Amino acid sequence: MKEALLYSIMGLGAGGFFALMAMGIVTAYKGSGVINFSHGAIAMYVAFQFFYLRNEGIFHFPWFDILPTKTLNLPVRMSLNNGVGINVWFAMLLSMATALLLGAGIHYLVFKPLRNAAPLGKVIGAIGVMTYLLGLASLQFGAIIPNPEAVLFPRGTFKNFLGLGGQVSHESLAFAGLAIVIGAGVWWFYKSSRAGLATRAAAGNEKGAVLLGYSPDRLALYNWMLAAALAGVVGIFSGTITGSLGVGKFTGLIVPALGAALIGGMSSIPLAVAGGLIIGMLQNFTGTWMTSQSWFPTWGQSGIREAVPLIIIVLVLFTRGKSLPVRGNIEEKRLPLAPYPKRVGIYVAVFVPLGFVFAAGLPGDWGWAGLTGPWGFHFSVTLVAAMFGLSMVLLSGYVGQISLVQITLSGIAAFVTARLVSKGGNRSAEFDPFAVEGPGWPWPLASIVGVAVAVIVGMLLAIPALRIRGVQLAVVTIAASISIYTLYFENSELTALQGGSAYIFPAPTFFGVNMGSTSSSGLTDSPRFALFALVVLAGLCVFVANIRRGSSGRRFLAVRANERAAASAGIDVPKTKILAFGLASAIAGVAGIMTAYQIGQTAATSYEYGIGLSALAFLYLGGITSINGAILGGIIAGGGIVAYFGTWHSPGLFNYTAIMGGLGMILTAIIHPAGQASIFQPLVQHLGGWLMKARGTAWLNSLKRYGPFIVLGAIWGVIGINPWRTDDYSRFWMALTGVFLVFFVRSIVVQIRAARAVKAAQDAELKKFLAEMEAAK
Amino acid sequence: MSALLETYDLTVSYGGLHANSNVNIKVEKGKLTGLIGPNGAGKTTFIDAITGFTNVSSGRAEFCGQDLVGSSPAERSRSGLVRTFQSLELFEDLTVWDNLIVMAETTHWWSFLADIIRPRRKVGVEDQAEWALELLGLTDLKDRLTLDLSHGQRKLVSVARGLAARPELLLLDEPAAGLDTVESQQLGSHLREILNRDITLFLIDHDMGLVLSVCDYIYVLDFGKIIAEGTPEEVRKNPEVIKAYLGETAGEIQAQEGAAARQQGGI
Repeated sequence: MKEALLYSIMGLGAGGFFALMAMGIVTAYKGSGVINFSHGAIAMYVAFQFFYLRNEGIFHFPWFDILPTKTLNLPVRMSLNNGVGINVWFAMLLSMATALLLGAGIHYLVFKPLRNAAPLGKVIGAIGVMTYLLGLASLQFGAIIPNPEAVLFPRGTFKNFLGLGGQVSHESLAFAGLAIVIGAGVWWFYKSSRAGLATRAAAGNEKGAVLLGYSPDRLALYNWMLAAALAGVVGIFSGTITGSLGVGKFTGLIVPALGAALIGGMSSIPLAVAGGLIIGMLQNFTGTWMTSQSWFPTWGQSGIREAVPLIIIVLVLFTRGKSLPVRGNIEEKRLPLAPYPKRVGIYVAVFVPLGFVFAAGLPGDWGWAGLTGPWGFHFSVTLVAAMFGLSMVLLSGYVGQISLVQITLSGIAAFVTARLVSKGGNRSAEFDPFAVEGPGWPWPLASIVGVAVAVIVGMLLAIPALRIRGVQLAVVTIAASISIYTLYFENSELTALQGGSAYIFPAPTFFGVNMGSTSSSGLTDSPRFALFALVVLAGLCVFVANIRRGSSGRRFLAVRANERAAASAGIDVPKTKILAFGLASAIAGVAGIMTAYQIGQTAATSYEYGIGLSALAFLYLGGITSINGAILGGIIAGGGIVAYFGTWHSPGLFNYTAIMGGLGMILTAIIHPAGQASIFQPLVQHLGGWLMKARGTAWLNSLKRYGPFIVLGAIWGVIGINPWRTDDYSRFWMALTGVFLVFFVRSIVVQIRAARAVKAAQDAELKKFLAEMEAAK
Repeated sequence: MSALLETYDLTVSYGGLHANSNVNIKVEKGKLTGLIGPNGAGKTTFIDAITGFTNVSSGRAEFCGQDLVGSSPAERSRSGLVRTFQSLELFEDLTVWDNLIVMAETTHWWSFLADIIRPRRKVGVEDQAEWALELLGLTDLKDRLTLDLSHGQRKLVSVARGLAARPELLLLDEPAAGLDTVESQQLGSHLREILNRDITLFLIDHDMGLVLSVCDYIYVLDFGKIIAEGTPEEVRKNPEVIKAYLGETAGEIQAQEGAAARQQGGI
């Protein structure tokens, strides 16, 4: 008993961390109705900023050198003291300034424009900020993982704390105390200060606050700055509490903080603080004390710590999901239209052979157009990413459920399959590809069972979705994603993998023909696998298209559009959602297994939540409500063919994938939520139309319209992008890259122009109306 | 004729406010029954209560002799008790045709498997949907997204959607709101045609003209209570009704609007 209490107290430091994080999340939610998934990333950025200021006197700017030249550069860092650390207080001041700057920037650049966006748009905005900050941090600080020290707090420990017989560090108690003191301050702010009172009013009834003369925008700005400042406090003071400082660390710790914020009902600061402290204590109690007891099952030792906040989140949302405050926004936009897939058969008939030629090339040499080597690999990555995207299109695009757990379902399918195809155990053998014991099933059978398990888990996870919706579902699913990751993928008791090793996947064979990804060179770049993946992707596309076109699709869209009306149409909304989760899980499972075949092995890291978020980013960029969006998302995904075009131009470009992905996500959410697919789709349809009809005038018109851009892009590609690269390979591909980039830029310009035109028309109408009013007077 | 829908002392309260108190109505098969009442009288609350969108505080409702308590809105809809919404609530991403079909079709647990193989198969309700579109003159708009239609057209689509379900009883919530007089009269004549197709109608509106001209039997609701009932002739002469509709002083109208605002949870 004494021990149990001691271990709980030892969790107070982490509890203080969660309490501070939870306060920030609640603050941002009060201010703008956004559940800020990027809160941990902000804290992380400030933590690095502070660490480098304190130890090396270097100040980093929260942006990157966007100018594409070597001579003209944007400053990204500034040395203040010739590489020597600066005064702690000054470093704190500058770090807090950074936090405030980030808060204001996030408000003005992201959430103010997204104020009236659909809930998914706001979630995407938050994930976009997170992706941007994570990408920026790995670029600026990713080289080393520092160990920050305690700041201002007393070091040392109580040797025998309260006679409980164990050590408790001064720092963790001080940190918990800091959380309580700051919590009291923030509580006072909302209770008594004018801005705080007005925030509460606006959160309850935005229209009412406007009528009282308060600007919701201004209030949101204050709250964002306060939230960022709270993240800054975490970043500066967390010191040794959270151990070494990795780029993704604080983001991974967002789940307990979300749990604490939910305990506070997303509005109460004291409850959020208490919740944070309790979660910290409970985690240490279960994760350290309970797991050390003899009765505790060994398979549960890893990950039980992470399961605590998940359980709390599910409990809170289940018991009070409907009483959580929903902002009374003046207007809320809907999700973009989910287009009806037309001419699916023609698309398959045209694009599969095209892809076939692209992948396989001419017989004799599997390497037309340079497809051997990296091309086979990157083409396969694109295809598999598109498969994963389809799962989200079905679930989020068609049914409107924001699920962030799809990557985990992919992982479950892959892990189960891997275990079932294993037949090893003979570790003394010189080289044993199937080192894990297992029944050694044939791969098709194992894959089917793997997908089935993913479907079952997916449908279980759908149960919370029956009670909660929108952004709250995103919270549950990200918590589930992180918990399952540690409970299962990292749990050697369950996976039988030792020390983070990976399952080896056998190559899939069809009647003796090897379709695996490993080529004769030993790398995973065989175009044969690309062919396999192409066929699977085409099958999944037809699958999703047919679901959309059939009775299930009608019901999905009816539920997405209006759950009340759907119920009045006799649609069983819960069953429809569970069906959607099941189907999406099946697709995610297939994508997960294909990922494993593509890599040739399966490790936990392929299915981390961050991978899922980045896939979501590119899917959203492509267009989350259409099949074309998933394909386009795959094409532009990290490691996909566009990224490879890019790396050919500049080998370091992959460092910028996350940053560009994050920015792209935010821009897409603001400017064009339907994604780029809705721009490219008409283009492809036009192309298809010419091919079918081939009318001279149509050719001519389109040539006039697009020809100059093609020529411009091609010229830019050949001579502009990389003049010193003169091999045939570049000459061929760079021209295409150039054309693609020009069209990409053009599509953005077109969108901005269209948006402006709409605005101008509105303005003109307003002016006309005013003029008429004046005249009437 | 037997009663298709009957309520017994149906009461709906929000906190202390009785939106409906002890409402007793009876809808007979094959007749056009109407419910009128000024704005804020509790008409929509009554529909919500019958169709399961609002919890009933006390009293009960029976549909085809079956107690409605405990069944979900979807179950009530499938049993033939279908409603429209004053706020239309169309499925905006679907075409007009799909709006009707999604309402009409019955699906099974294996429907999605059939979708994968033959997504555009016949679902056996096409005739009813065609008829509903034709009746309301929407056939040309069949393949348009409801998003692109005018308000009047959307209104008709919502009625057509209710009809496509081949209901026993269709509850029409303010179908005439926002229509001009001619459109309103056209709608009235359509309603009689609908009755001939074995669909019983329950018309809720605040527009006396339409209700009095087409209905067989009328209930008048005011401040959540039934203040009068009878044939159009009887209702027209009823002094309570005249007072509720015509004899209101400005002050009374304001009070009524205040009650409506309170009911909607405004400031």
